Amino acid sequence: MKTYEVPQEIKDANALEEKLSLLKHIGRSFSVYRVDCGSCNGCEIEIFAAITPMWDPERFGFKLVANPRHADILLCTGPVTRQMYYPLLRAYEATPDPKLVVALGACGSTGGIFYDAYSVLSGVDKIIPVDVYIPGCPPHPASIIYGLTTALGVMDQKLQKESHIEENEIPSLIKESLIGNTLFERDLLVEAKKLMSYVFGRKLYDKYLDALIKSGDVKNPKATKISVTEAIQTEEDPRYAECMGILHNEIYTHYIACQEEDKISLHRVQWGKK
Amino acid sequence: MMKLLDISKKYGDTTHKYPFEPYHVADNFRGKPAYIFDLCIGCAACGIACPSNAITVQLNAEQNKLIWEFDCGRCIFCGRCDEVCPTGAIRLSEEFELAVKFDKSALIQRGELEVQCCTECKKPFTAKRLVQYSFDCLSKANVSQNRLEEAKDYLRVCPTCKKNATVSNFTTGKEVVIE
Repeated sequence: MKTYEVPQEIKDANALEEKLSLLKHIGRSFSVYRVDCGSCNGCEIEIFAAITPMWDPERFGFKLVANPRHADILLCTGPVTRQMYYPLLRAYEATPDPKLVVALGACGSTGGIFYDAYSVLSGVDKIIPVDVYIPGCPPHPASIIYGLTTALGVMDQKLQKESHIEENEIPSLIKESLIGNTLFERDLLVEAKKLMSYVFGRKLYDKYLDALIKSGDVKNPKATKISVTEAIQTEEDPRYAECMGILHNEIYTHYIACQEEDKISLHRVQWGKK
Repeated sequence: MMKLLDISKKYGDTTHKYPFEPYHVADNFRGKPAYIFDLCIGCAACGIACPSNAITVQLNAEQNKLIWEFDCGRCIFCGRCDEVCPTGAIRLSEEFELAVKFDKSALIQRGELEVQCCTECKKPFTAKRLVQYSFDCLSKANVSQNRLEEAKDYLRVCPTCKKNATVSNFTTGKEVVIE
């Protein structure tokens, strides 16, 4: 599909020097026109969160206007659906020159998760020249404020292209197993992630292993029962406390020969007590 | 009117001073995935898990390097790469200041890994670091010394050649003894 070609007079009026002189003269009053090119409304919600008194972008003079003819900055969201192709062009041509175009969100910058869908043109920059990209799905209000202040030259860009070519020696990534069987650690981590998702599961895994090490004798079920029970009782968060008990009962007893009384009976232990 | 002033006095100044003072995001905020190249073993788990294909892992045109590439512009910050990474080479950071000006390529992160060529068919099939990582895993896993020596050979054979070898072993009636 042949996409839009920017007319020569708009191109001339939007050269880099023109844009920089606009930024110099614009002072502290910017009008932003928001074009929704088929976005899921997540980015819109974050834009409206960003213009609340909590963030107050009117400190820098940002103002949302209802007409592209009043605007200096076009804020485009969404992956540009085929239906929004002409309205976007009309908004672009109606904005007085020189203008800044900001692509907001993952969809606006590259098409995001819809990049290969049949009905989208995947990204505002495929159609009109874009000056600033703000990634995020959706971007945090602080990211939006950062992006807009970057557009104005108040703040500097922090991200640079990173390229790693030289390969160093890989550090030893696998630790010695506590009980002499790496499958124990593997099962423990899998079960911890299953119980509490990956972020909290990793914390749970660390907490449980700390409790095991504290017992002094890791392979002795009597000693570990005492130390894990103590860890459960001193744990402030009841979710970690209960899951530590489940880990002990299901994984530890599976790898170390235990009697029935070596298991922790979870309804008898009172957790959360300091 | 006085009531309103009382309310505003009670809540005080709520506006974040963000661009002039640093802003601290909430706990467990999902910011830009931070890539630690030294830990990456090129297993491509993140590339398979990534729903928006922001992470791609593929061989370059000359077939001598495995290119790990992350496009922050396409990332939807779901954290699945963090979840599946076995070595912790990719972790969601708290970085939220991601906007770039004019040049979109500043959003890209790349890593080039050495490839391992199959000892049978001489075609590249995985990263050297992944082979080394697998061997380290095996050497810590109470495997007998014999099996470890065997592993040194069969870790460097690509899956297709392994399959062909198994088929020819079966059809020629050769017995494979597994300890």
